[in-house]
Amino acid sequence: MNEQRGLLTGEHFMLGDHAAAEGALLAGCRFFAGYPITPATEIAERMSVRLPQVGGVYIQMEDELASMNAILGASWAGIKSMTATSGPGFSLMMENLGLGIMLETPCVLINVQRGGPSTGLPTLVGQQDMMQARWGSHGDYEIIALAPTSPQELFDLTIRAFNLAEKFRTPVLVMGDAEVGHMTEKVVIPSPDEVEIVHRPEVRKGDVEPDLFRVFRDGTGGNGYVSPMVAVGQGYRIHVTGLTHDERGYPGMNARTQDWNVHRLINKIRAHRDEIIQTEEQDLEDAEVVVVSYGISARTSLWPIELARREGIKVGYLRLITVWPFPDERIRELAKGIRAFVVPELNMGQIIREVERCAAGQALVLGANRPGGDILEPEQVLNVIRQAAGRPVEAVGSRSHEPVETLEE
Amino acid sequence: MPEKGMRRSERLHMMGYEPPDRSDWVTGLHPMDDLLRGERLPHIWCQGCGLGTALTTFIAALQWLERERGWDMDKVAVVSGIGCTGRIAGYVRLDSFHTTHGRAIPFATGLKLANPEMKVIVISGDGDMAGIGGNHLIHAARRNLDITVICVNNFNYGMTGGQAGPTTPHEARAVTAQYGNFEYPFNLPYLAAASGASFVARWTVLHARRLEWTLREAMEHPGFSFVEVIAPCSTAYARWNPEGRGMDPEHLRRRGLEVMKYYKAAGRITHDTHPKDAGVKVDEKGLITEIVEGKFLQEVRPDLQEALDHLAARADKWWQVEKKALDDRPHLPKSSSHVPRTEVQLGGFGGQGIISAGKIIGQAAAIYDGLEVCFTQSYGPEARGGAAGSQVVLGSDPIHHPHLIQPSTMIIMSQGAYAKYLSFLAPNGVLLIDDGLVELAEDHRQDITTYGLPATRIAEKLGNNRAANTVMLGFWTAIAGAVSQDAMRQSVAESVPPKTIDVNMKAFDEGYRKGIEVLDRS
Repeated sequence: MNEQRGLLTGEHFMLGDHAAAEGALLAGCRFFAGYPITPATEIAERMSVRLPQVGGVYIQMEDELASMNAILGASWAGIKSMTATSGPGFSLMMENLGLGIMLETPCVLINVQRGGPSTGLPTLVGQQDMMQARWGSHGDYEIIALAPTSPQELFDLTIRAFNLAEKFRTPVLVMGDAEVGHMTEKVVIPSPDEVEIVHRPEVRKGDVEPDLFRVFRDGTGGNGYVSPMVAVGQGYRIHVTGLTHDERGYPGMNARTQDWNVHRLINKIRAHRDEIIQTEEQDLEDAEVVVVSYGISARTSLWPIELARREGIKVGYLRLITVWPFPDERIRELAKGIRAFVVPELNMGQIIREVERCAAGQALVLGANRPGGDILEPEQVLNVIRQAAGRPVEAVGSRSHEPVETLEE
Repeated sequence: MPEKGMRRSERLHMMGYEPPDRSDWVTGLHPMDDLLRGERLPHIWCQGCGLGTALTTFIAALQWLERERGWDMDKVAVVSGIGCTGRIAGYVRLDSFHTTHGRAIPFATGLKLANPEMKVIVISGDGDMAGIGGNHLIHAARRNLDITVICVNNFNYGMTGGQAGPTTPHEARAVTAQYGNFEYPFNLPYLAAASGASFVARWTVLHARRLEWTLREAMEHPGFSFVEVIAPCSTAYARWNPEGRGMDPEHLRRRGLEVMKYYKAAGRITHDTHPKDAGVKVDEKGLITEIVEGKFLQEVRPDLQEALDHLAARADKWWQVEKKALDDRPHLPKSSSHVPRTEVQLGGFGGQGIISAGKIIGQAAAIYDGLEVCFTQSYGPEARGGAAGSQVVLGSDPIHHPHLIQPSTMIIMSQGAYAKYLSFLAPNGVLLIDDGLVELAEDHRQDITTYGLPATRIAEKLGNNRAANTVMLGFWTAIAGAVSQDAMRQSVAESVPPKTIDVNMKAFDEGYRKGIEVLDRS
């Protein structure tokens, strides 16, 4: 099989960023456009070596604006494509993430988050782009964002991101972070035959009478229909535009077309929430406190959760593998039966707003926050869990591993 | 009679025309209908605008290529950005993309690289290409990407009402330059040529026939071709400038024609002019007095695709080597005993292989002993030249907390690392030092066990001082007992440069032997 040429299999001791690249290759990604940025650069480096080995194209663009656009162009050429970046580049990509959403273009964007705002902490971890992931590009839209906790999951979720992107014809975000991207762990790469790989529904030359073809056709299945995509060169002479458009892809500068267009973009995600949303749950049945977290903070919460359980606190664990769309129903349901939620995250309170919204006053919601720079201290999370359970809190000092030094550039 | 406001198809019906099928696609009335989206007409451009001519010449050139060169119009894609010119993508009956402001070229880059058999043409305005998208223009030219870029220059931002821009001549007027433009414009052909474009030309829309011929050549040219098309903006630019000032705004077409008269007077056709000299000259009032036109540059150089094609063979060679190494990895028996969470800190200075050593431990434990492992390294300024540190956490259970909590062993190979890390070592922990490089402090911790080994000296004796880290790894393997000797040997063998495997294996074994000796003694 030509498609399997150059793919790795087996167990590897692999950097998280490299695992993301390998996941993309297995998912069928054959085009990468990017711009160097710490701590996502290793994805680009890996792709620059690996893509030519599997018959793909790697190109370093002049900036992140161009990178995001180039992957959209490649996707319309019928090739699975992706880019990877971190905070500052993520901001630049917002413009054409919007174009990707508007043109219903499957592609994957990995954000290896670092501390911000602005240039912030290039080499150190953060989870401060979670709301930007949801709302960063202007206008109304739904987005899919996944949050990995390990190199293995960077691998697995990158594949899933491609599958979701292809299935729902939309850009999908993988919201990693410097910690996960820069750690090296065992990554098990299955043989390509064992992995479910989704390809976009596609119309090819001769399938439909070109004059009758509608590039954004509405299905008969009602809301949430994803119309098949047609690549360039298939003879359909398609036109697509970032302007509000009708099903032919033609601009329609009026409220009716806007209504149709925006509903279409939103509904195709909302109608498939159950399929898109994935969570990992532990001990929720009799929990008095539920820790809701994602990415590296979910992983590091497991230890304080264990400590709290040893103290007799009934702690449940809900990890958001899919952060966007947010699992509203699950949180709402849990809020009825528990005392409090604890939301550890490496920002000063982003996803906690969603939990608060869904808890709607039925349960206490407490954050364990830190603006990045390092992972959460287990003591801090443990104390918030205690507080959430109504137990006394113990004073903790900083237990930072590295001595504090004056930083040079 | 057909009335204003009727659908085009209705009007045509009244004139006795029946469309050939159910769709409202209208064909057969105009010689260019097969390449125009009839159902999208009339277009949005003003009377007297030059874009109609630009579009007509473009389509005429394509038709010629189809007829004379056998181009398949299904394999032609047009990409545009935002603005009046950007709308061209919506009127051509080709695969066409109307992207974001300034981003047509990077979109086209992705399209072309992902499907090289497509002929990709970018048509956009001067604001789109020289303003917001200027960076993309110069980089695509630098890469000599095989696309054609047609930049329709009307000297201002027309769609938003006539603001000054990067091509507005000095002292010319615009809605945002009522006192005269105090900036200086780009000479676009010069910019493109200096950036690496291999085909550069300029015409005004007055010279429609010559423009068409040039467009044919540009689209056939292998490599990055750039054609500037100077066109009147009858509504905005001409209103403020002598070319059309004072004319009745109801007669935009007249205004456009007046501008064309200026083009006729100012146009100077001089092929092969150095692009630097191919400027647009204006007088002190910003009135255009000279427009140098023609084909300024064409040279055939290897384009980006050609360069990419060369990579594939080299990449495949690498892959074959890597694949063989992976296929040759042995399967060692995985560790069956329960290994508690074990934390190792490695420290030294840059160049000693501190990072590699940590990775070797991690790989041995993860791949060959089948343990859970998390390896991290210190990034930042200390990674270059100064102190280097790496950390390994390993054990049988999942590693929730990826950082060290309290390392039980340390491998320290520099005085700086000794000072930096020692206080974190667990009570009763084991410190391994290269005692040729590290001198213990007078108040050295008494609650830990310290073993020294002159690793660098041993490695030197073996013929390669860079194997000092491997000596320490052997020493650590024997003393810590967390990772099996076989796993470590295998991990060393596949991690070091192939030419140094022998010396590194000797180094590891020597370190291991010393470790056993030390244990036997104590």
